[in-house]
Amino acid sequence: MIALRHDNLGPGLVVFLLLCGGCVASWFLIQPTLWGTVEPGYDIERMVLYYSTLPRLATALLAGAALALSGALFQQVLRNPLADPTTLGVSAGANLALVVVSLFMPGLLGAGRDLVALLGSAAAAAIVVGFGARRGFSPYSLVLSGLVVSLWCGGLSAILTYLNQRYLASLFIWGAGSLAQQSWVIPLSLAWKIAGVAIVCALVIRPLSLLDLGESSSSSLGVKLARLRILVVGCAVTLAAFVTSAVGVIGFIGLVAPTLARLSGARRPVQMIVWSPLIGAALLFLTDSVLQLLAGGLGDFLPTGAVTAIFGSPLLLALLPWLKVRHRIQQAVVRQRQRRWSTRVPATVALAGMLVIVALSLFVGRGPGGGWTVLSGEFLHDILAIRAPKVFAALGSGAMLGVAGSILQRLTGNEMASPEVLGISAGATFGVAIALFAVAPGFAGQFAFAVTGAIMVLAVILLSSRRSNFAPERVLLAGIALSAMVDAVVGVLSSTGDPRAVLLMRWMSGSTYLVDGTTASVEVAIGAVLIALALAARRWLDILPLGAAPSSAVGIPLACSRLALFGLAGLMTAAATLTVGPLSFVGLMGPHLAREAGLTRALPQMVGAALIGGGLMVLADLIGRTAVAPYQIPAGLVSALIGAPFLMILLSRRQ
Amino acid sequence: MKISRRSFTLLAAAAAGTVSMPGPLLAEAAGQRIVSLDYGLASTLLSLGVQPVGISELADWNKWVVEPHLPSSVVDLGSSYEVDLEILIQLKPDIILTTPYLDELLPRLRPIAKVLRLEVFTPDGGPVLEAATAATRTLATGIGREQQADQFLRRSDVFFEGCRERLAGKAIPPVALVTFMDARHARIYSAPGLFHNALERIGVRNAWTRQSNFWGFETIGIEELSSIGDPDARLIAFDPVPPGVLSKLAESALWQMLPFSRPGQLSVVPPALMFGMVNEAMRFAGLVTNVLDQDA
Repeated sequence: MIALRHDNLGPGLVVFLLLCGGCVASWFLIQPTLWGTVEPGYDIERMVLYYSTLPRLATALLAGAALALSGALFQQVLRNPLADPTTLGVSAGANLALVVVSLFMPGLLGAGRDLVALLGSAAAAAIVVGFGARRGFSPYSLVLSGLVVSLWCGGLSAILTYLNQRYLASLFIWGAGSLAQQSWVIPLSLAWKIAGVAIVCALVIRPLSLLDLGESSSSSLGVKLARLRILVVGCAVTLAAFVTSAVGVIGFIGLVAPTLARLSGARRPVQMIVWSPLIGAALLFLTDSVLQLLAGGLGDFLPTGAVTAIFGSPLLLALLPWLKVRHRIQQAVVRQRQRRWSTRVPATVALAGMLVIVALSLFVGRGPGGGWTVLSGEFLHDILAIRAPKVFAALGSGAMLGVAGSILQRLTGNEMASPEVLGISAGATFGVAIALFAVAPGFAGQFAFAVTGAIMVLAVILLSSRRSNFAPERVLLAGIALSAMVDAVVGVLSSTGDPRAVLLMRWMSGSTYLVDGTTASVEVAIGAVLIALALAARRWLDILPLGAAPSSAVGIPLACSRLALFGLAGLMTAAATLTVGPLSFVGLMGPHLAREAGLTRALPQMVGAALIGGGLMVLADLIGRTAVAPYQIPAGLVSALIGAPFLMILLSRRQ
Repeated sequence: MKISRRSFTLLAAAAAGTVSMPGPLLAEAAGQRIVSLDYGLASTLLSLGVQPVGISELADWNKWVVEPHLPSSVVDLGSSYEVDLEILIQLKPDIILTTPYLDELLPRLRPIAKVLRLEVFTPDGGPVLEAATAATRTLATGIGREQQADQFLRRSDVFFEGCRERLAGKAIPPVALVTFMDARHARIYSAPGLFHNALERIGVRNAWTRQSNFWGFETIGIEELSSIGDPDARLIAFDPVPPGVLSKLAESALWQMLPFSRPGQLSVVPPALMFGMVNEAMRFAGLVTNVLDQDA
């Protein structure tokens, strides 16, 4: 019945073409075996065909279908064309849960693997969707927080893996989504799990399609909105968790497939939910069989999931202009209680706290036996020469990240905005990756490549959002799409197990280890200049959050001021990333703590954020240096670990 | 614990005390305080009769290197990539041994002590065992222990020859060497790696004939093991095998079809370091010879 309608021709054709492509590619894969002579007894090629090649293709079909269905459900129920398990952080949540469990409680993995994945992705979904609900499911807020969670989970699992088992890159492979199979166990178990969820979906298709009528009409038709939402999101999360638990993170299929369905003419919810899985299955099938052909030729190990992410994230970029963006006027937080102190008190406390932390950090350490020591005597000078640059570099970077975070949060009116999501850090990482793998220069060379990478990304982002007058939403999403792509490339590099990947991971984990006196003084100087510039722009930052119209009305040049502020935030992030790595979330925490302390206007907030950000970073460095001495936990990782619970508390408090 | 000059002298004295224990070769070593930032160099140092004052990643020594045994007085310097410089300074080393891999640390190490940089794994280094032998001699020259190096390399020759003789004349199948990463992936070792060279040295064929990267390994899906043509080939897997891998493999139909799933075709042996030097090659050769000798 459905197939007879003429608006199904388009999607049908897409599925047909993709399947044809996949069949041709897989024909090349299996043809030599099929046409080979049948040897009696030991015929290993045929066995590989039956128990590796075919199950792998089946897994590709199933995983593709499941992810696409998950994406279509998310998009339908959240009414957001950018939602999918990758952009909502659901896959990355499952991945992080599995990594944590396999590192610290490997016994749980045997039976409870799916359960662990499910818990992880459910937690991620709860955070992201919960946050979205408070913002009226604004598409852009939702995806922004989803991608932040995704970045955080992805980065953290990579770093945890790197810190724990350097010689065993298995978790990398699996995190990067490899479809390699040696039996039918995985595709078969995946098949019945997916079928189970699909049946539930079939039952809710009708109420789900009524959602398109808008909230009030659909509830007047008897749809229990909240319950439906929870059920459908639950289905979508479960699908993504099953796939992640079976084969790892396969990026962006859940975004690409529904988009293709929509572009080829599917309009109604039923069509989307039927055609998306078919397209997704065909798409992953094609990708994986082509990849197997190529990998066979190159003799290289390429994880499919990372490759789909490399091709999927540009699509996200291309889709951005389609996203309806409404500028939301920042909800001024109305403070019920009387403010008990002026802005001077919290600023003084922040300053004092920072000074205490810096002093502690300079003089407390651990000795060769592991005991705690207060620095004095013979080694005072030598050891201070090692510690001081780290401490001041951390201070400078933390302060810059705090100010950059304040600027971004004010510009976008989004409390999830932080320098990590600008993609500049990712650009720097990418520069280092190229330096390590293609050019192999010394440390100074790596530094130059990092700066180049950061500047290139900043340029791309600003160029691509020029048409929208640097609308903050566009800028951030473009940044995140680029970060996802860079993450995927790094994933491919790491999963080959090449020891150089370890150097890259160290870079990403944000260690102040290699900072010397010169770097630190340059860092502090740059920080001072850029922060002074930011403080000078305080009027813009006080007015721009009120919205585009009021700002132009009082004579602020919109495009110009936004470009300047983004450029400033970008430079600060790039400079900070070079010492504390791409992932610290200090830029998220600093501005928030400052605002919570009552520093609400631009100038006090930035000053507070700089003090708090700098203090936090130095504290993170101190903890990382001493907690498990002589082994060091990178400062970036420590602060990201502090940042996660912070994020949750923050979200749960904003009712 | 506060580290004073006195407790340091005590520590040094303790270190010097244990130095005299392991063998007859350790006379004038007490004068030189040497730290090593590489497992292979540290074990070579021990074989040259010098006890390192500190090494990096001491905590994992028994997980990857195991032999030779490391005296308890050796101080842990933390991860190789991020050696704890504060502790390194307090150890007051005379010589620091490092590899090209840690070049970015050089500017930080040079002010602390004389740095000896030894190349074993380099992109155009050729067979690793030869490079390791050459590096052993360079190291010996650097610390004035040429004579001990001669003796050590002669011992290793005798050892390899012994392994070769134990296996000579027996029907020794080709072996494939892997580290399992999970139930679907493995790392396989081939030319020009250390393990491959050691296999050649004891006259055993490597069943995996494809060249790999200059560290001597590549990452493969388990199904690729089927490209090994010889049905008699043996598979030797090194510990640590991740939990659950062997039981999952046993369920796999493809694995059951591979010759390696037949009883006696797969052996799991204790860990041996693939990124090591002569000592690690000897340990590897010993492990492999034992396995093959038992079954031949």
